[in-house]
Amino acid sequence: MSTMRVEIEIWRQEGPEDRGAFETHVVEDATPEMSLLELLDRLNDQLAEQGIEPIAFESDCREGVCGACGVTVDDRPHGPVPNTPSCRQHLRAFGNISRLRIEPLRSAAFPVIRDLVVDRSAMDRVIEAGGTVDVAAGTAPDADDLLVGHDDAEVALDFAACIGCGACVAACPNGAAHLFAGAKLAHLALIPHGKMQRGERGHAVLNELDAEFGPCSTYGECVTVCPAGIPLEAVAAVHREGLRGLFRGRAD
Amino acid sequence: MSLRQRVKDAITSASGTKTGAAAARAVLDPESAGMGKALVSARRVPKLDARVPEGDALTAWDRRRAEYRLVNPANRRKYTVIVVGTGLAGSGAAAALAELGYHVECFTFHDAPRRAHSVAAQGGINAARARKIDGDSLRRFITDTVKGGDFRGREADVARLAEESVRVIDHMQAIGAPFAREYGGQLATRSFGGVQVSRTYYTRGQTGQQLQVAAAQALLRQVHRGSVTLHTRTEMLDLIVADGRAQGIVTRDLRTGELGVHTGHAVVLATGGYGSVYFHSTLAMNSNATATWRAHRRGAYFATPSYVQFHPTALPVSSHWQSKTTLMSESLRNDGRIWVPKDPDEKRPPGDIPEAERDYYLERRYPAYGNLTPRDIASRAARTEIEAGRGVGPLKNSVYLDFRDAIERLGRDVIAERYGNLFEMYHDATGEDPYTVPMRIAPGAHFTMGGLWSDYDQMTSVDGLFVGGEAGNNYHGANRLGANSLLSACVDGWFTLPLSVPNYLAGVSREAPLAHDAPEAVEALDAVRGRIDRLMQNETGTRPATFHRRLGEILYRGCGVSRSDATLRTALTELAELKEEFWQDVHVAGSGDRLNQELERAGRVADFIELAELMVTDALDRTESCGAHFREEFATPEGEAQRNDDEWCFVSAWETTAEGRHIRHVEPLTFETVPLQTRDYR
Amino acid sequence: MAVVDAGKRSGAHQPGAGAAARPRPSTFVLKQVMAVTGVIFVGFVFVHMIGNLKVYFGAESLDSYATWLRRVGYPLIPHQGVLWALRVVLSVSLLAHMWAAITLWLRGRRARGPHRRRRPATFSARTASWMLPGGLAIAVFVVVHILDLTLGAGVAASGHQHADPDGTVHAYANLVASFSRPWMAVFYVVIMLVVAFHIEHGVRTLMQDFGATGRRLRKIWAVVGGALALAVVLGNALIPVLVLVGVIS
Repeated sequence: MSTMRVEIEIWRQEGPEDRGAFETHVVEDATPEMSLLELLDRLNDQLAEQGIEPIAFESDCREGVCGACGVTVDDRPHGPVPNTPSCRQHLRAFGNISRLRIEPLRSAAFPVIRDLVVDRSAMDRVIEAGGTVDVAAGTAPDADDLLVGHDDAEVALDFAACIGCGACVAACPNGAAHLFAGAKLAHLALIPHGKMQRGERGHAVLNELDAEFGPCSTYGECVTVCPAGIPLEAVAAVHREGLRGLFRGRAD
Repeated sequence: MSLRQRVKDAITSASGTKTGAAAARAVLDPESAGMGKALVSARRVPKLDARVPEGDALTAWDRRRAEYRLVNPANRRKYTVIVVGTGLAGSGAAAALAELGYHVECFTFHDAPRRAHSVAAQGGINAARARKIDGDSLRRFITDTVKGGDFRGREADVARLAEESVRVIDHMQAIGAPFAREYGGQLATRSFGGVQVSRTYYTRGQTGQQLQVAAAQALLRQVHRGSVTLHTRTEMLDLIVADGRAQGIVTRDLRTGELGVHTGHAVVLATGGYGSVYFHSTLAMNSNATATWRAHRRGAYFATPSYVQFHPTALPVSSHWQSKTTLMSESLRNDGRIWVPKDPDEKRPPGDIPEAERDYYLERRYPAYGNLTPRDIASRAARTEIEAGRGVGPLKNSVYLDFRDAIERLGRDVIAERYGNLFEMYHDATGEDPYTVPMRIAPGAHFTMGGLWSDYDQMTSVDGLFVGGEAGNNYHGANRLGANSLLSACVDGWFTLPLSVPNYLAGVSREAPLAHDAPEAVEALDAVRGRIDRLMQNETGTRPATFHRRLGEILYRGCGVSRSDATLRTALTELAELKEEFWQDVHVAGSGDRLNQELERAGRVADFIELAELMVTDALDRTESCGAHFREEFATPEGEAQRNDDEWCFVSAWETTAEGRHIRHVEPLTFETVPLQTRDYR
Repeated sequence: MAVVDAGKRSGAHQPGAGAAARPRPSTFVLKQVMAVTGVIFVGFVFVHMIGNLKVYFGAESLDSYATWLRRVGYPLIPHQGVLWALRVVLSVSLLAHMWAAITLWLRGRRARGPHRRRRPATFSARTASWMLPGGLAIAVFVVVHILDLTLGAGVAASGHQHADPDGTVHAYANLVASFSRPWMAVFYVVIMLVVAFHIEHGVRTLMQDFGATGRRLRKIWAVVGGALALAVVLGNALIPVLVLVGVIS
């Protein structure tokens, strides 16, 4: 198996209050099959052998659905391959890269906890504020009696595919979370029970976005990194739901 | 004490130990008749009582619900329920109990509830809605599940699973899961392994994700209402048992390292399975067994830990740094054909191998189910081919899953619509294009049917400690059918625990939960602190991850897709060595008062090693083959699993004493709705 | 390792932690202000460009149009009434647009935090990052343009002729005089390019801000935005070029 030498400039930060800085390490035996995170695994093993504390980074499912992973590589959230989470970025797809600069997902809403681990709870607070459906267990009617068109279900799924990784926020020069929030609003607006709370949901989500994230200026950077391929329409959905709620002035 | 002696002590006679339980136990006596064989007959001692309603399993749940005690709505907020885990079962239980008015404290080691590993299930969720005219019914569902589990699950629990499956779909759809729809607006379904009807509801290849996100949302709704307090990045490290009841947990805040005591009137563990004990598995990096194992060490019996499902369509291990054997959905077997070359020395690329020189071994051996045989059978068949030297790929450790015929028959577009995202994932992971080159797959550790033993009400052998989802054991017997895991997690979380936990609470004092300075809480906290100190004492040494890797190798070799007395005994010796070396040599870099992933890993690996010993012990003990537990000595002449219903038709529920000895308790199984029969997918 | 009470909620998810810090007016309102005023500007620039096209039909055509602008609606509306109304609307819009833009820009910087990305790659990201500097350039141009061709002060050409007492305007002559200065012509052309990109990105952002989610609608909208931008740059920027090369004199 062919190996390659990769020089890694990597962010180290002791804790939330620490300033943090880049450190450089070299992995001599990287292979093209490795994913970005497996490269970090390798690096950590090497650091441990050298008596250096391994780099903290987050990952869980390593197949692109949990949204736990995400580092910024050479200024691109998740890495150089578009629309692919860090765990599915394999070195073979990087071309002749011999040097990588790896840092956390950057945004004021994502304070660094340690090294590459950031706190993304602000995204959950958006969901908590309005990304929910008010149906108590056991009270739902037969799902076959609620007709949903095939195409509506598919579009809802296009938006529901969001994995909540936060790359859209980290890609945004404004630190906006409109793609994330819009995906949720667009998804819930298309399903039968979700429709009942469109007005209040839009209002609540916009308020929460304001409190923790920046404004959208249609940079469109978010859609180039989104591992779930959420389209820019999601951003329009944020404003659509906001305007709709404003003009109707009702909960639904 | 010699190593050999200690191994023997690990599985030892219960004589001289005080379990104090009225429950029955069978006793292993390794000295007289060899380990795993000489059992005092399970029938002569009192049995473990699962409190299953008497009579017809089909109506059992209805009758039990009518018997459940209730709590006055005004009194509910006086009860605190601790829910650990925010997967489908945990989120569901926490949200549903909070909806009912109980105060819920919910814990996850993730940064967000949505990340729990339920998110990664791909294929779908079964439901016995039987809307199509393909012959499905409640009874058929029960038959398929009980038979799929090779008659080692509890029939009445399966009946409840079937009954509640109907409204699980309704509820999950209502709270946000956009199920696939037909053009007429109805829910779409598909088929899965081990069944011949179409009862699997799905959302593309991301059913788990959609259900998980919907459940996490429902949980966050309750957080917003103030009825759930959610603790993220907080890991449960011990259970607090006082007065014989589970009354709290000890946690570590993963950000600050602070240890905390949380007490409540009942504790629900929904912390998932332990498949990552194998290191290479389809599970997530952080999936672990610490919560269930710690509960076990506090008295909760661990049921049939050796029942581990190996998923037949996982990616093979092809390099040292590969971090997991990613799952390729079982749904691929609907259209893909599995084969190996007939000649073990075959060197040609797959496309050049003529039809006559291919062995479609599943279609050949199981013509009725073909490529859709249940997972245990498909995995074992693949293992057989690989071990016979007919494996493919550079390491000859995989088999082909070929879409050539399906693409010819249906066209590339149809295949892309059905499996596009899976093909893309495969392409990402391997660099090969499955449209032109057959996929290479291999069995990978996936789902654990074993787990904390619980009764029909999902209460473990510790009063007030409940279990839900994969952390428990009830439904799947010795093998789980595809798309039944999402279902069991949903049913437990939304429609069983919210009824059975209040039944327990109704009999418990409404006074404030256990004080944080109660001796039992302080003792548990000290124990956790002691364990952490011990993990951190070595100044130099080996990373915990390295021990984990070695643990996985031991288990794959000794207690994998198939096991034998010899492999299991070797594994037991190796595990004892590993454990000793672990404590002497494990090195945790950094400090414990902040985020420290090495420390997290070390604690989990330490618990995994102990659990692995119990797994191997159980596998050695159970001298029959059933479902995923395939003992090479117990096979039919055709190589199929040979069950021994006369001696082994029971659940082994293990107790581990403070000294680390394992004692087996027995819960007998009876089958009335689905009579015992030999599983035959031919 | 301190022991914490559950009551202290160590590690607890903080419900609505940021709610107290919610800025006013909301980002949503500011975006709508930008969108509505943006529509006014796009409309104005387009109509202005149509008016400018009269230059191609000679001095008489442009001058009479300019004179008409001052008399439109008379006698119902006093002389220059419509013009002043438009001026007020445009000025207020301009202030609101700039205020909202700068406020949002500051919020965006704050939300992004200290670590900025280098090299935003796409066309959309480039045009987006030019919106604020481009907008400021346009603001400077508006001042220059008014001084030059409306007030005839400061940067105006030396041959600038003010309106006659009877209200006749010498727009054509002033325009030719101004654009005969190469620096002014170049400045004008450059600003028209900036305006075109500003419109192109602005119209696409409008579609976002007005919540256009339909896929067909979005395609049409983007094309219309591009066409408007192109029309403005072609219609306007050709004038100084033609003046310089002597076609218009």
